[in-house]
Amino acid sequence: MFLHYLDLSWRSFKRTPLVSFLMVLAIAIGIGVTMTSLSVYHMMSADPIPEKSSDLYSVQLQTMDEGRTWWTVDNMPLQLTYQDAVNLNQAKAGGKRVTMVRTGFSVYLDSDKVKPFIGQARLTTPDFFDMFNLSFIYGGVWSAQQEADAAPVVVINKELNDKLFAGENPVGKMVYLDDASYEVIGVIDDWDITTKYYDLNNGAFNKTEQLFLPFSLMKARQLENWGNTNGWKHEKTNTFNDKLNSEMVWLQFWVELKTPAEKQAYQDFLMAYMQEQQKLGRFNREKLTATLRDVNEWMKYNNVVSEDNEILVGLSFMFLAVCLANILGLLLAKFLRRAPEVGVRRALGASKRQIFFQHIVEVAMLGFLGGIFGIILAQVGLLGVRQSYSYYQSLATMDLSMLLSAPVIAISTCVIAGLYPAWLVCKTNPAIYLKSQ
Amino acid sequence: MLTMNNISKVYQTDMVQTHALRDFNLQVEEGEFIAVTGPSGSGKTTFLNIAGMLEPFSEGQYMLDGIDVGKLNDNQRADLRNQKIGFIFQGFNLIPDLNLYENIEVPLRYRGIKAAERKRRIEQCLEQVGLASRAKHLPQQLSGGQQQRVAIARALAGEPRFLLADEPTGNLDSLMARQVMELLEQINRDGATIIMVTHDPELARRAPRNIQVVDGQLADFTLYQGTQNLKAAGV
Amino acid sequence: MLEIKPIFHALCRSKVGAILLLIQIAITTAIVSNAAFIIQDRISYLSQETGYPEQDIFVFNVMMFGKDVSPSQQYELDEAMLRQIPGVVDAAYSSNTPLSGSGSSSDFSLKPAPEESKSARTSYMFIDEHGINTYGVKLIAGRNYTEDEVIVTDNYDELSKVTVVTKTLLDELFPDGNGLGQTVYFGDIPMKIIGVIDLMKGPWLKDSRPDNVALLPFIKPGTNARFVVRTEPGQRQSVMNRVEEAMLKNYNKRVISRIRGLDDDKESYMAEDTLMMRMLIVLITILVLVTALGIFGLTLFNISKRTKQIGTRRALGARKSAIISYFLVENAMICVVGLVIGVIAAVYLGQLLMQHFSIAQLDISYVLATALAVFVMSLLAVLAPAKRAANISPSIATRTI
Repeated sequence: MFLHYLDLSWRSFKRTPLVSFLMVLAIAIGIGVTMTSLSVYHMMSADPIPEKSSDLYSVQLQTMDEGRTWWTVDNMPLQLTYQDAVNLNQAKAGGKRVTMVRTGFSVYLDSDKVKPFIGQARLTTPDFFDMFNLSFIYGGVWSAQQEADAAPVVVINKELNDKLFAGENPVGKMVYLDDASYEVIGVIDDWDITTKYYDLNNGAFNKTEQLFLPFSLMKARQLENWGNTNGWKHEKTNTFNDKLNSEMVWLQFWVELKTPAEKQAYQDFLMAYMQEQQKLGRFNREKLTATLRDVNEWMKYNNVVSEDNEILVGLSFMFLAVCLANILGLLLAKFLRRAPEVGVRRALGASKRQIFFQHIVEVAMLGFLGGIFGIILAQVGLLGVRQSYSYYQSLATMDLSMLLSAPVIAISTCVIAGLYPAWLVCKTNPAIYLKSQ
Repeated sequence: MLTMNNISKVYQTDMVQTHALRDFNLQVEEGEFIAVTGPSGSGKTTFLNIAGMLEPFSEGQYMLDGIDVGKLNDNQRADLRNQKIGFIFQGFNLIPDLNLYENIEVPLRYRGIKAAERKRRIEQCLEQVGLASRAKHLPQQLSGGQQQRVAIARALAGEPRFLLADEPTGNLDSLMARQVMELLEQINRDGATIIMVTHDPELARRAPRNIQVVDGQLADFTLYQGTQNLKAAGV
Repeated sequence: MLEIKPIFHALCRSKVGAILLLIQIAITTAIVSNAAFIIQDRISYLSQETGYPEQDIFVFNVMMFGKDVSPSQQYELDEAMLRQIPGVVDAAYSSNTPLSGSGSSSDFSLKPAPEESKSARTSYMFIDEHGINTYGVKLIAGRNYTEDEVIVTDNYDELSKVTVVTKTLLDELFPDGNGLGQTVYFGDIPMKIIGVIDLMKGPWLKDSRPDNVALLPFIKPGTNARFVVRTEPGQRQSVMNRVEEAMLKNYNKRVISRIRGLDDDKESYMAEDTLMMRMLIVLITILVLVTALGIFGLTLFNISKRTKQIGTRRALGARKSAIISYFLVENAMICVVGLVIGVIAAVYLGQLLMQHFSIAQLDISYVLATALAVFVMSLLAVLAPAKRAANISPSIATRTI
């Protein structure tokens, strides 16, 4: 019966080609516009590490004096001070943890084959790779001892390995970073995340780093921070050590807590830590606050999805409503014109339910066609977005869930639009239409 | 009052010419009641359309109350239609979204008659056809016969020079048909000129003058008692 | 002659078509008013004056990895070399550049920290006495700093004592207009304001004080540096092509990267806002078209449904113009109701946007202008079908089905 209805629907389409085309067009445009903004929104807000996004927590400490404000909704600074990061890193509380900063180097080899270029780097403690689910294609991470010794070792990414060592196993080879040489001990595989959730300070959609080195190198070699450094009070920071000892915040810290019990335990630890620090003279304030935010909470807190995108998605759905009203009108026109035929069918024994269902199938088919064309239009729209703003290169795409959503949204919209016309046409008295006039 | 001289109407479709009317001649005096009969496809409807200025004609002359219709433009024809002719259609042609009062009002508004005068005429005509109590009802709420009576009221409200009726009883049962016919006869006795197209010989017989349209041309008959003349004319 | 009452009654009796049109008109009005307002807001935000000739200036990054020379000395040599290149007006080391998204800022206050006093958020730039000429900004009061006021060093032993600021910053700290010559404090470091620049943008357009800029004659370069070069008009590209080679020739243990014009940098910084603006424009254009087509289609349908009625009206004496005006009036009535709802919806939507997002209060003139435009658009959309209706022959009335 369903196939029969499909057949009827297709014939009905062919009978009024112009109206059918207009309806498919209306839905396709509505879907095209909506999916363009929805896809970008989806990619921006997608969970970058779904298998453990609720196990990884970004730590924030309220280190400012009473009355000071930050630009976040709860006034908490977004990063930690050096002292706090190091203390938390060494503490016996919590699971795996990582403390890190972003930096960069001039990269070159001993040979003249490759011109020196700027390499984006991250100084991090060794749990980084495990915590964020990175996999190695050659070699591995540095040991705890190497971290303690500030050993001059580096892990590079696949792209860099291809560029410097033609993609071959580079473990053991040396690379120059600024004025010193470092031994390559590992290569990580492509890390294609659309959102750089672990460090949102310089742009949520930047590419991940190419070089990873032990965190201890920062102090050992006085390496510069290429991320944000913020201070809330006046401090003399003329020397590198001044900076390390100051209340300026410039480090990121993540901890892995797998169960609610672990999380609570860590929360308690943080509070105890802050109280202890306060006794040492820091935190000139009444209430002590420490917060833990998991990956998705952290992204939301940092407004990864910009207001503009949210507005655009909202307006797109309103636009879809206009298309819906349009289609409703056309469907009314089409169905009511066919009322005489329906009258005949009913006289021949079709029940109201069958008539209703037949029309819903037709409407769903319309939605399906519109959804497919809508995907094409959305791809055109996303291409336009990518060309207009190359930063959205990986964001302005439709992943599988978006490709499937398009026809689903289209069909649902059409079915909703079609409910009233279908109901109207199936409830009318067939007798009226069997008479003339 | 109404004179048609050598009227002909040609429909041109692609390569085919159809002569719906040819060399049609007719004279109608004030107060006549004429039935127009003829086989289907003979051109009765075309004649009606031309008489009612619903269509332009290809050749000939049509004088209505001394006015040369052929020289009028579309707007002038519309105005003249509005003032001189009352239409009664086979399918009633009442506007479904308007109630009876508003339906009768339509031609009066086009003439620019003021609201108070419109009210007077409408109420009078509704009274005349016996439907004054149902002024606010919609056409769908009335029977076929009642709808046709409203259509007649609409035709009368404009105080036309003559009524053009197109199969006025075609969609009615015999009882209602008789009622409508009696109403028309009454109106004719009151002084209205009526041209009525019909295929019903019973009805045609009731009209004092009969015209037959055959193959686009006119054959005029005046009805006498008995059927011999009809036979002789080949009806 | 407008048949308003009967048209209204007829509409009330078959509401569905009218309601559909109503909804479309209302939603379109609500969306377009707000979108147009946001677009206008964006345009004025994006087209702010920079204060400098951005098409003649370019910047590039230098990252030194060689440790055998002192950065500050090398950069002095580089500056001298750059200034000699034909086509170059002036060049200077600059700690950051305007509208790049990357820079430094702090509060400049009237009293030294930690005393509480009036302060203003300021973006500051370390640059020597060539800065004003390199950026091509206008000095409107006071003077530029002299060569000996510029401190080029590798430590914090001596700090600069003077500064040149923008007029906006001056007016914020000294609203009585007597700021020139006064001392302001960068933390606890005193600086005398010796010069005032007309207008210069800081590194961030999206900032609470994008026009508060202070130039400081204190050069303590790290291994990372930026150079800004201003060229004669039209010469910029050719100089940009030569600069990497010239810098590496001077000293090659470094990487020269990101050679870009200030206008291109600004465009990258504003790209997201520009994208939003473009998408909004596309959205409202398509929306208006879809609504216009909707009105067109729905009217066409209504006419085809009422063919007999139209023919009858013509038979009863309606002129062609009466038929056209019937549809125009009918559409205008629906449109007016839709617009009233749409205006209310627009204001409400504007309130929502203001509450949940950082959008300014919707200016009512946008709503009214949109309503008027939608009204005109809907009348135009009805016109063609209405004319078609007027051409329906009165002889339809006598036709049987």
